[in-house]
Amino acid sequence: MKLSDRIQDDVVILEPKGKIMGGPDASLLHDKLYEYIEKNQKRVVIDLAQVDWMNSTGLGILISGYTTLRNNQGELKLANVTDKIQSLLTITKLVTVFETHDSVEDAIKSFER
Amino acid sequence: MDKPQISGNTIIIPSSTRFLADVDEFVEGLLRDWGTSASVIADIAISVSELVNNAVVHGNKASPNGVVTVSMRREGDTVTIDVADEGTGFNPAEIDDPLKEENLLKEVGRGIFIVEQLMDKVDIAVSKRGTTISISKAIA
Repeated sequence: MKLSDRIQDDVVILEPKGKIMGGPDASLLHDKLYEYIEKNQKRVVIDLAQVDWMNSTGLGILISGYTTLRNNQGELKLANVTDKIQSLLTITKLVTVFETHDSVEDAIKSFER
Repeated sequence: MDKPQISGNTIIIPSSTRFLADVDEFVEGLLRDWGTSASVIADIAISVSELVNNAVVHGNKASPNGVVTVSMRREGDTVTIDVADEGTGFNPAEIDDPLKEENLLKEVGRGIFIVEQLMDKVDIAVSKRGTTISISKAIA
C-alpha cells in the first residue's frame, strides 16, 4: 500500500493506494491518521478510490480513526468506496457506522452542513 | 528461516506479518494463471490475508521460529487453500459475534467472520502440530 495525504479546505484527505492487509503498510495508514489527530486536525476524509481491497485489519484502522475522532469532537468520512469495500462494510454492518460520499468534494462539503 | 520459500503451489513464510504481501502476490498470481475473475481473486486474497494474519499473530504468537504454510490446489472449478500454523488452535464458538451492536466498533475480531462470508466452505482442523484452516471457493 502507498499513501499520500493533503489538506483541502481545512479537511485532511488521506489517499491510500493498493491493498490494506496488515503488516507494515497498514501501520502507515494508522500512523498518518494519528499524526493528523495529534495535530488537532479533526476533519478527515479517507479517499478509497485507489484501494483494491482491505481486510479486517484495514476495517480496524478505519474504526480506530472513527472512534478517536468522534471522541474528540471530530469526524472521519469515507469517499469513493469501491464495490468490494462497500460489500465488506455491508456484511460487517459497518455500513451503519461510516458516512460515505461519492466524491472527496462531496465529503468536504458535508462538513460545512 | 528468514524469507519466504515457494515450492510448486505452496509458500512457506516465517511467522511475521511482514510477509503478508509475499503470500498475496503468490496467491493472486496462481489464481490469475487459473483464469479467476478479479472479484473472486479479491475475495480469496482477502480471506487468505485474514487467515495468515491470524496464524502469525494468534497461532504462532509471532514466534520468530514459527512458520506459516499456505498450499493451493484446484479441483475442477473449485480452489482450496490450506493455511497451517504451529499453534494450539482456537474454538470458533468463543469468538464474539461481530455483528452484535456492542461489538460493532471493536477494532478486531471479525477476520474469521469475513472469511466465512466470502468463501464457499471453511474447515478448521486442530492437531497437536498446529491448526490448519481450509477454505474453498468456486472460481468459475
